[in-house]
Amino acid sequence: MLSLDVHLQRGNFNLEANFALDNPVTGLFGSSGSGKSTLLNLIAGLANPDKGWLKLSDSHLFHSSKKINVPPDKRNIGVVFQDSQLFPHLPVNKNLLYGYKRIDKRQRRFEMSEIVDLLEIGHLLKKRPAQLSGGEKQRVGLGRALLASPRFLLLDEPLASLDQGLKEQILPFLKRVKDELDLPMVYISHSMDEILHLTDQLVIINNGRILGTGHFYDILGKNGNQEFSNYLGLENIFKVTIEDHDQKSGHTIGNLYGNKILFPLNDNCIVGDQYYISVRSSEIAIAKHRIQHISIQNQITGRISHFDQTPSEITVHIDIGTPLIVNITHKAFYDLELKPGNEIHCLIKAQSFSCLGKA
Amino acid sequence: MFELSPEEYSAMMLSLKVSMWSVIIILIPGILTGWLLARYNFVGKTFLDGLLHLPLVLPPVVTGYLLLLFLGRQGFIGQWLHQTFDITLAFSWRGAVLATALMSFPLMVRSIRLSIASIEIKMEQAARSLGASALSTFFTITLPLAAPGIISGSILAFARSLGEFGATITFVGNIEGETRTLPLAIYTYIQIPDGNDPAQRLLIISVILAFGALFFSSFIEKRAAHWIGAK
Repeated sequence: MLSLDVHLQRGNFNLEANFALDNPVTGLFGSSGSGKSTLLNLIAGLANPDKGWLKLSDSHLFHSSKKINVPPDKRNIGVVFQDSQLFPHLPVNKNLLYGYKRIDKRQRRFEMSEIVDLLEIGHLLKKRPAQLSGGEKQRVGLGRALLASPRFLLLDEPLASLDQGLKEQILPFLKRVKDELDLPMVYISHSMDEILHLTDQLVIINNGRILGTGHFYDILGKNGNQEFSNYLGLENIFKVTIEDHDQKSGHTIGNLYGNKILFPLNDNCIVGDQYYISVRSSEIAIAKHRIQHISIQNQITGRISHFDQTPSEITVHIDIGTPLIVNITHKAFYDLELKPGNEIHCLIKAQSFSCLGKA
Repeated sequence: MFELSPEEYSAMMLSLKVSMWSVIIILIPGILTGWLLARYNFVGKTFLDGLLHLPLVLPPVVTGYLLLLFLGRQGFIGQWLHQTFDITLAFSWRGAVLATALMSFPLMVRSIRLSIASIEIKMEQAARSLGASALSTFFTITLPLAAPGIISGSILAFARSLGEFGATITFVGNIEGETRTLPLAIYTYIQIPDGNDPAQRLLIISVILAFGALFFSSFIEKRAAHWIGAK
């Protein structure tokens, strides 16, 4: 669908990217300064690479040696900006129609009423952008991009400038767009959490280089880039089968390779289905014996397979039916006299588990 | 006391006419130059910027004299204009328009440049990504959003034009009914005996016009800011 091979040099910053996307939604993940916004600009035609090519479906948008460079207004790529960039001098309805009226009638994919209903912005049409809340602005920005009938949609951190409560209000709309409109998207974010709400297909960029593309389970976690997983706190990702919801104790119960685990009640998880669950390696404690009278709900028995050390901590690899990574201090490690082969108990608070999405 | 003589009245009307024309002829070049300086980096930008600001810092007499050298009847551009188009600038009100336009151009450009620079480039990029060509983006996004700056720049230029003295008197002289604008008339009355009364009348008119222009400017600016939704 979208494929590219681009090089760009700006001062000390060097961007090299080469990948092809074929998913309905791809998450482009990277920290700030990683080059993800530059990459977005290159795709949208708002900046040009020094060298390389960019293709959408079968047509080139850019090709340095063939001297192809389709201007942004002819690329048909929608962009939703972080700070919405609504036109302040136009009321909401004219903002929405800005791209729509520039599209040939036969090429229009969405109608005003359809998008207004989908995003629930009917009551805002007569207002000026300055009168809207942050969340409303983002919905209008999304609607405006959709009404221009793009072939491809780029979302540039659309939730980054909203607070947590608002994020949770907007995410359902993004899901709706993904589920109800047949429109490939790239969702750019520095928040893995947000991305995993929408997709598990990732492109990870760091320091101008692509670290990996594909399913997040393959790029991160045990099989992937260890350093990067560490940085994200996603060293431990598991597939867990949901067994039950215990309304009384407020837990959802899952099965992790034969171990029963408890995590905070999550009604969205369907009993019998598999979900990805993560726990940070620094949030797990180790005990030599089972401990009574403690608030920690999960005590998983396992055997130490091996350990690595850095000056600040020791990474213990434990076999609980699947590898589990635990980081503890040198002192804790030597106080407990841990050795490979020891049977130990891993203590994990229910709240330390986070559910990343459906497997 | 406040009866204007025909001479005084004509000086006032001439000043308004010259100022208006000078704003009209620099409006579009002012917008284009302001946009160029706000949005693009190019070789010679610093030089162009300096050149534009020259009339602000040069003694106005020097600007007027330069105009006379180049555009006077003996100047090579002036000669060419006279022979090809039969246009004479020196010692005519059109010359006064040119002199005041040149003097107020930097003020106009400054104000427009600032207002265009304050528009986020992403706003224009959003328009491009929605299918608007560069030209269409300029007219539908950049220009309306720069409107407050364009309006205040125009009024500032107008007020500056009303007061232009040095370049005008040097380039087009002090001809009653043709180039004798308000400041020139005041100057003339001060030079003659019994000129105090008319000079003071024109002084009051000058103050009223200048103050009115500034008042109007801040009023329009507020309206325009509201109109573009900046509040």
